Amino acid sequence: MKARAALFVVVSLLLAALSLWIGPSFAGETRDFVLFELRLPRLLVGALVGATLSIAGAAFQAVFNNALATPSTVGTTAGATLGALLALALDVGGGMLGVSLLTAAAFGGALVTTLLVSGLAASGRLSKNDVLLAGIAVTLAASALASGVQFASDARALVAAAQWSLGQLPQVGYHGVFLLAPFAGVTLVGLLALGRPLQNLALGEDLAQAQGVNVTRLRFSVLLVASLGVAACVAWCGPIAFVGLIVPNVVRLLVGPKLRSLLPLSFIGGAAFLVLCDGIARVVLKGRELPVGVITAALGAPSLVFLVSRAKRE
Amino acid sequence: MKLRLEDVGVLRKHRALLEHVSLTLEPGQLLALVGPNGAGKTTLLRAALGLTRLSHGSVWLGDANVSALTAKQRAARVAWLPQHSNAAEELSALDVVMAARFRFDEPSAQSESEAKKALVRVGVGDVAPRALATLSGGERQRVALAGLLAQAAPLLLVDEPGNHLDPAQQVDVYRLLGELWQQGSSVVCVTHDVNLLRHLGNPGEVRVAGVAQGKLRFECRFTAPELPDKLGELFGMTMHSLMLGGHRVLLPERSP
Repeated sequence: MKARAALFVVVSLLLAALSLWIGPSFAGETRDFVLFELRLPRLLVGALVGATLSIAGAAFQAVFNNALATPSTVGTTAGATLGALLALALDVGGGMLGVSLLTAAAFGGALVTTLLVSGLAASGRLSKNDVLLAGIAVTLAASALASGVQFASDARALVAAAQWSLGQLPQVGYHGVFLLAPFAGVTLVGLLALGRPLQNLALGEDLAQAQGVNVTRLRFSVLLVASLGVAACVAWCGPIAFVGLIVPNVVRLLVGPKLRSLLPLSFIGGAAFLVLCDGIARVVLKGRELPVGVITAALGAPSLVFLVSRAKRE
Repeated sequence: MKLRLEDVGVLRKHRALLEHVSLTLEPGQLLALVGPNGAGKTTLLRAALGLTRLSHGSVWLGDANVSALTAKQRAARVAWLPQHSNAAEELSALDVVMAARFRFDEPSAQSESEAKKALVRVGVGDVAPRALATLSGGERQRVALAGLLAQAAPLLLVDEPGNHLDPAQQVDVYRLLGELWQQGSSVVCVTHDVNLLRHLGNPGEVRVAGVAQGKLRFECRFTAPELPDKLGELFGMTMHSLMLGGHRVLLPERSP
């Protein structure tokens, strides 16, 4: 298992580094500019976003005890989207302060929907599917509200929202990296610190409680920390689906369910996965870029199906 | 650890799961809770663990009200073996037992070595790396017992520890519980099968409490002459006593 984990880290880092050279090659000063001023910061943003979405997905799966729980399926992404669209409609976008206001709006939306879903799912005896049903309900409600917001917006906000909601890594340079890094860092450190009690939750909620875990507080802390990171990612890049579902599930199939390895490996694997997808998105169509969300879905869905069917056979 | 329930009541959807239950377990005592399905035995254990909201009364662990303790403080006083395991099937036996060390602020290497010791102690040291899904019913129950041990709490609440086990495994599990009791643990053990209690050893000291419809119906020693009649009344059956090799064995039969 340890060898597998080490191999996974090495392969992930190699793939992420190699994706820097995906795309047309240049020479001399142009090459340096493309590599270090355009591609490297974008690679770093992609790594932070992929890592955060993946580790948040792994944490959601643990906290809801459901392999299909992800930021996208329990309403976090929808809430963040609604918040971000509201911010765009009210024209707070642009500029350093504007970016953080957008993040704050996305975070507020993400937190409200996530807590709503966990509240709905936790009322009464918690069934594994309740959280997904509640997530679908909240996602639908948030999408309806978002449509309402867009209907009332002017043309400029509509264009900005349409562009944003495709899910693309923005060409933001190094200041984007510096803005995103603290959020990814808080999510990483916070979730790793909660890994031990989260592991107890895999034995069942009641037994975890009897073993000394304050389950209510743990749920809230995990959702808070994960939503913070997800909201920042959604605010920057729009909703990028599938990453939080695919990467943790693939990692679990490779190294097992133990959170002490699952959480950090999801972080690393998620970084590599999104960076690689973004590299492919740059070159798959001649002369224009596909939204990275298209690639994550196109690559991720079949690989998950493959791994699940292989795991069933074993 | 002394356990005291004072006039405990539990309501669920306007139905009383427990009513006016009072009992005291002194440190080092063993109490077997018997009664028909749905009598409230499991609810009683959950109340003692602070997992169930009381509609009435209070539960005391030592000198502290259970509702005033933090989760970790409570876990240092009382450990629980639930009737059914909800653990994720892909977890290894070692992962499961290590989780029981959560209440200790210790590095995970220490948790791991304590967990391994506990697995060896219950006779399944070799299954540590294996996933729960690959274990037999007996091995699983021993892994769960190892978790109970690893938590190292002075009061143990065990819910039907012989459930779904073959007779040899059942006897082994009760012997192991008996050892823990002889070494000073206080134990509350829920069971349907009173005959298994003799494998705990020291039957004269085993207390038996009958629970039906949320109420405590009787309490006596395991060796008390009135036990068969009390049990017969509790289950609505005729309870025959047979003597086998110096032990009293109870055989239930439908009352005419």
